[in-house]
Amino acid sequence: MIYCLFAIVAVISLYTARHYWFTLNRLFGFQRHPYIDTDTAVWPQVTILVAAHNEEKVVSHILAALMGVNYPQKKMLVVPVNDRSTDRTREIIDRFCEEHPGRIRPFHRTGGKGGKAAALKDAMELVDTEVILIFDADYIPGTGLIKQLVAPFFDPEVGGVMGRVVPLNVGTNLLTRLLDLERSGGYQVDQQARMNLRLVPQHGGTVAGVRLSALREIGGWNDNSLTEDTDLTYRLLLHGWKTVYQNRSECYEEVPETWHVRVKQIMRWAKGHNQALANYGFHLLFGKHRATLRERIDGFLLLGVYIMAPITLLGWVLALGVFYEGIAPLHGVIALLSITAYSAVGNFAAFFEIAAAARLDYTRQRICLLPFLILGFGVSIFSVSRAFVSQLMAPLTGAQFHWDKTERFRTTP
Amino acid sequence: MSAALATAGLFALTGVLFLLPLIPAIVELRLKRDAQALNVIQQYAGDIRHFSFGFRSYASDLLVLLEQCVAAGGTATGTLPHGDRYVLLGRPDADLLLPPGSTGKTCDLVVAAGTDLTLPGGITFEKEMYALRQLNGGENCTYRAILGDDGIRLGRASKVIRWAHAAKSVHVDKDCDLYGRISSDLEIELQSGCFFQRLHAPRIAFGSAASDMNPNAAPRLGPSTETVSSSVAVGRRLVDNDLEIAPGEVVTDSVVTRGGLRIGAGARILGSVKSNQHMAVDSDVLVAGSLISASTMHIGANCQIGGPVIAEQEMLIDSGSRFGTFEKPTTVSAPVLEVEEGVVAFGTIWARNEGQVVPRK
Repeated sequence: MIYCLFAIVAVISLYTARHYWFTLNRLFGFQRHPYIDTDTAVWPQVTILVAAHNEEKVVSHILAALMGVNYPQKKMLVVPVNDRSTDRTREIIDRFCEEHPGRIRPFHRTGGKGGKAAALKDAMELVDTEVILIFDADYIPGTGLIKQLVAPFFDPEVGGVMGRVVPLNVGTNLLTRLLDLERSGGYQVDQQARMNLRLVPQHGGTVAGVRLSALREIGGWNDNSLTEDTDLTYRLLLHGWKTVYQNRSECYEEVPETWHVRVKQIMRWAKGHNQALANYGFHLLFGKHRATLRERIDGFLLLGVYIMAPITLLGWVLALGVFYEGIAPLHGVIALLSITAYSAVGNFAAFFEIAAAARLDYTRQRICLLPFLILGFGVSIFSVSRAFVSQLMAPLTGAQFHWDKTERFRTTP
Repeated sequence: MSAALATAGLFALTGVLFLLPLIPAIVELRLKRDAQALNVIQQYAGDIRHFSFGFRSYASDLLVLLEQCVAAGGTATGTLPHGDRYVLLGRPDADLLLPPGSTGKTCDLVVAAGTDLTLPGGITFEKEMYALRQLNGGENCTYRAILGDDGIRLGRASKVIRWAHAAKSVHVDKDCDLYGRISSDLEIELQSGCFFQRLHAPRIAFGSAASDMNPNAAPRLGPSTETVSSSVAVGRRLVDNDLEIAPGEVVTDSVVTRGGLRIGAGARILGSVKSNQHMAVDSDVLVAGSLISASTMHIGANCQIGGPVIAEQEMLIDSGSRFGTFEKPTTVSAPVLEVEEGVVAFGTIWARNEGQVVPRK
């Protein structure tokens, strides 16, 4: 038991060191933004896929925003992927299509497999451009965003591009404020540090792009994946394509406003991530492919972030067990240290990352909410662990692949 | 004190200590002092003329008055709504730029000139300047910002602190320092010794020799390669180590090397090129697509590149090289950029930290 606990503490310490490394790099290291200055070019044809499943509350906003971007009109086609919607999504899309002839070509999907990846896979029949951008329907791109996301594709090594997600409905309640802080840490520090250090920036599947030839080379969208973005990141990596992160390509999104929706969202992410860990983890670390050593290590650690939740819970149980059994050397001191190590130092590293992100964003007062993050982490750790257990049990219970759409809260027409 | 009271006190103290860090959090949660979404400027498109547009809008009333001054051949002074004092020159009278009796050489007025204007040397203009007609700056002048509806010519060793935009040509004499954005709707010409950061014009020439080149000369990239350059879709050759492309070799794919790359003289590449270490491009190389280095880059003489050129560290460009065309403008970007006289680019040159024009070797 004690050796198992030692192993868990070692792994948590590794993640803690990683958090600090990223944060210090972001605060003091060289920042890479190689493509952001490309403002003049012969811009390539681009197809913009907007994934929409029952998005009547938000889909008009993104379509209006896309009609206002500064990308050459003749080189840009918007394809709203209306995936089996039962609300007014189809009607809204068709109205936009009439108002902007030739600029929007809708893909109305009425049947087939559920999930975003399956919808995107079917929509590929309308795509013949080398550059594809993908947005979820709740996003609101700014005027210059499309050029910024296309620019990295002039680099023939780039297969995928990811922009920064910025929550719009921050002030709604405690949850949205905590998610704002988490997003800030995740993008402003985590993703940019990975970009700086030439590690594995993660494709997020929205505010993102992919190269058609790269997508074809890796076998297209994986409609068996719950997180097609994570799946895409690793398949691109294994085939020698880079995913790059553009921290200054910011786009507003809507974050969940209720804990119930948040729990469902994070459980889906956890299951998808674990699925990718099972599919690619071993091959990434030990297989013969194009990824560099640092990409292999970072990529594996990134794949492991959601599995850390049940491991941490297990660690807590073991630590308590060791303490009360009295089998630890030094009569429980090690157990005590273990508990404090990852409840104090481990958590603090993530807090440090988020605090650094708030500083980099020039925000001041929201950093006061930092102590409440323990609440968000608490919910996440149990939700993610629950997702892990249900995934393990799925073969026994016969549970089927199920896609939970994230509910929208926007009320403005 | 009873044991029960002591226990209760201990619990209360523990509770207080636990709640203490939450007090600022609860205050912020209730007061929402910083609960707005991060400021993403939705309308900002990165246009180099952003500030010149802003100034034109700010000074729009001034420009109406300037027309009256020009018609009357007179001058006028006054104060703008934000408190800045201005002078309108309806005739070419640069003496009005300095306060009467002043011994210094600092002009703290917003200047708007409605006729051709030639400025004396050594003046520092602390506010923006607008010129309806040709503006000829004196030597050693310092400008905050200039908006010209005709051409702008900056005298030797002048400085522009924030931005300058001209509807026609911007000519910059030797040894000038151009901080921020310099743009033209026609062309920019920079002489050797100039430092710059961000330049944008249909045509940007470094040195007099470059400006002597026929701007309408047909690009040497043939029709077939131009077709390729407008696309990012060609095959890809991925090399894990260093690579050397032989002189005169024709490569039809894009090339990516995880190591360094040398492109031999006279080679033709129809796709794009990326190296993760130093890239050396010998003379007379043609690349239809983009040229990207994750490290440093040296582009030899008389090369011609169709697509964007990016180096993540330093880039050196030798004389005679040409980037983009009038019809297909492009971007050349590196934190540190050293450009020899005789180079011509069409589109944008962006040296995030420092760019410099150096004499031909």
